[in-house]
Parts: sequence; C-alpha cells; structure tokens
Amino acid sequence: MKIRDCKAIDFGALAARWFLGGLFVYTGLEKGLDPVSFLKLVRQYDMVHVPFLLNSVAAVLPWFEVFCGALLLTGIAVRGAALTLTCVLIPFTALIWHRALILQAARAIPFCAVKFDCGCGMGEVFICRKLLENAGLILLALWLLSGRGRRLALRYSLTGKTESPPAPSPTDWGRSTAEKA
Amino acid sequence: MRNRTSTLAVLLEAALVVAAAVAFAFAANALSPRGLKLARNYFPGASSHSNAPARLSTPPLRAPSSTNVISADAQITGRLREKELQPLSRARIEELFHDPRYEQGLLVFVDARDEDEYAQGHIPGAYALDPYHPEKQLAAVLAPCQNADQVVVYCLGGDCEDADSAAILLREAGVSNQKLFVYGGGFTDWTDHRLPVETGARNSGIAPVERK
Repeated sequence: MKIRDCKAIDFGALAARWFLGGLFVYTGLEKGLDPVSFLKLVRQYDMVHVPFLLNSVAAVLPWFEVFCGALLLTGIAVRGAALTLTCVLIPFTALIWHRALILQAARAIPFCAVKFDCGCGMGEVFICRKLLENAGLILLALWLLSGRGRRLALRYSLTGKTESPPAPSPTDWGRSTAEKA
Repeated sequence: MRNRTSTLAVLLEAALVVAAAVAFAFAANALSPRGLKLARNYFPGASSHSNAPARLSTPPLRAPSSTNVISADAQITGRLREKELQPLSRARIEELFHDPRYEQGLLVFVDARDEDEYAQGHIPGAYALDPYHPEKQLAAVLAPCQNADQVVVYCLGGDCEDADSAAILLREAGVSNQKLFVYGGGFTDWTDHRLPVETGARNSGIAPVERK
C-alpha cells in the first residue's frame, strides 16, 4: 500500500490510534510501576472487599491497559482493542462519577469543584474535566470501532482477512519509481 | 448477513484481546519486582470500607445530612479503635520523643511510609517498615519492638492507613498490642509543628535543609 493512496481520514485514524494507544500505555505504566499506590486508589472505590480480587484488579488493570494501548499503537486487532477499551472506559467513567457524587456530598462543595485521584494515572483531577476527557476517549474508541483506520495498521483484523489493500508487488514499486522519475 | 458476520468477528477479536491482555497482565505483575502478591491481605484489620468517603479528606468534614462537623481526629480515632489499635496525640508523642527511654531503646518509633519517603525525612531514630514490602525490614524492626516498652507507628497521617497496617503486621509478628500505638497525625503533623527531622538512613543525624 502506498502512503500517497491514503486519504486524510486514514491519517486521522492513525493519529487517533496513536493518541489513544499512547495514552493507555502511559497511564498503564504509571500505575503498573507503582501498584501499591494504585491498589490504595482502587480500594477507595469500595467495590471489592475480598483481598484476592482487590489485588487482582490492581495488579491486572494497568498492564491490561498497556497491552490494549500497544495494540492500538501498532495497529493490531484495532477494532477488538477499541471495543475492549470502550467496555473498560464506560463502567469506569460511571464509577468515577459515582465516587465524585459521594465526595461532593461529604465535602459539601459544587460537583465540578470535586478534585481527587481517580486512579486514572494522571494524579488529582477535577471531576468535570475528567468526565469530559473520558467522554472524548470513548467517542474516539467508538470511532475506531466503526471501522476507521484499516490502512496504516500492521494487522487490522485478527479473525478474518485484513481488509487492507494488498501489499504492493515488486512491479508496483517499480512502476511507482518510474512514475516519480 | 455480512454485518452480522463482521460483528461476530469483532466480538471474537475482542475476546481474544481480553484473554491475551489478562494473561499478559498476570505475567507482567508476576515478573515485576514491584508486583502485588495476589493472595496477601494488604489491609489487615479493615473490615468494610463503607465509610471510605469520609476518610478521604484530612480537613474536618461536614456530614451531608447534618450540620455536625466531624473532626479528622475523631475519624482517625474511630478507625484505629475499629482495628483495636491505640491512638496517640502529638503532645504525648513529643513527650515520648524527649523521654530518656527513647535513647535507651525502650521507646521505638516505626515509620510505615515507603523507602523513598523515609529517606527524604523521618522522625529521628525511627525504624523503617513499609507494610507493603515488609520482607527486608521486618526482621530488623521486630527485635527492637519486642524489647521496647512502647512502640509508636506513624505514616503520613490523616487518611493514610499504612501505620495501621504496619502496627497490625507487628502485632501479628508477636509484638504485644498493649504497647503498640499509632500516631494518627503522622509525619505531616510532625513537620507542620516544625519538630526535628532526620534524612537518609536511621540515626544518620542528617537534618534536612530548612524549607522556606
């Protein structure tokens, strides 16, 4: 496939993949390299009380994000990774929202003034900004899920044919070089 | 028909991604030197965390349905009592710090923060015991604690429960609960009151540079 055959939307999808993938790799590493801090943050959500399950969530989630982020960065199983991240982002956003409501009630402050470390790998954040960010990330993941970014991906689909244009044959390369000349 | 096949393909792909990601994540945690031990209870003595929201802020909190202000001290005391631990006020801690028995090793301070925080500054003479990675430090701390009359454990203070975990760790290792105390205000309270701080290793005698 020739780069010049790609349309603007292909480059847009590439940028989206790299942004989303890079972000998940970064935040995943932030948490994965300091799992104790992440464990404490997960515990604050008061969702899991069994030590094994709590530890498993805190141990697995950061590296899970790193793996999915790496898939998006490289362009492997793009729709599968996008769907997985969407399924992770939506309940987490709901959890963050719920937590913020509790904190708002406890601190008796406006909702958007609630600031806390949600365990998202970015430290303390204002809740309204975080919710907007997550909404943007979910939309981006859904956009990739809709089938964007077939081109410029290493292996777009794992299960079927890649649906990417076929790789150029040596004669194509020759023709291309000749055209340039 | 084609759409349905495509949807199934995406779902199958997502299932594969999830399976591979979970396997990768468990392997990464197992191989990481900082990885969590899955079977370990990192928060001993904690029953339910249902009152977690109230613990999140160190300043006094206002209960949502009443005008009563719940002091941070009362929250910390309640939390410690729940874990059958004894809180100790800063005034009493200061007395113990200046008590001659501290020099004799009959009073022991234990810092339950991590190694980096400990190195940046701790109560002079305090032992380090990170309750999340106690393997290296517990052996060195246990004997002095068992020989002491009183053991004071502290962490950052406020919502920080690492001191509770370290105290419970010591209790489970054989230190009598009667002589175990937790300094609820913690190191934040200590430094806020400009009390002496030592940096680096224990008994290094190095005082930190005065903060402006």
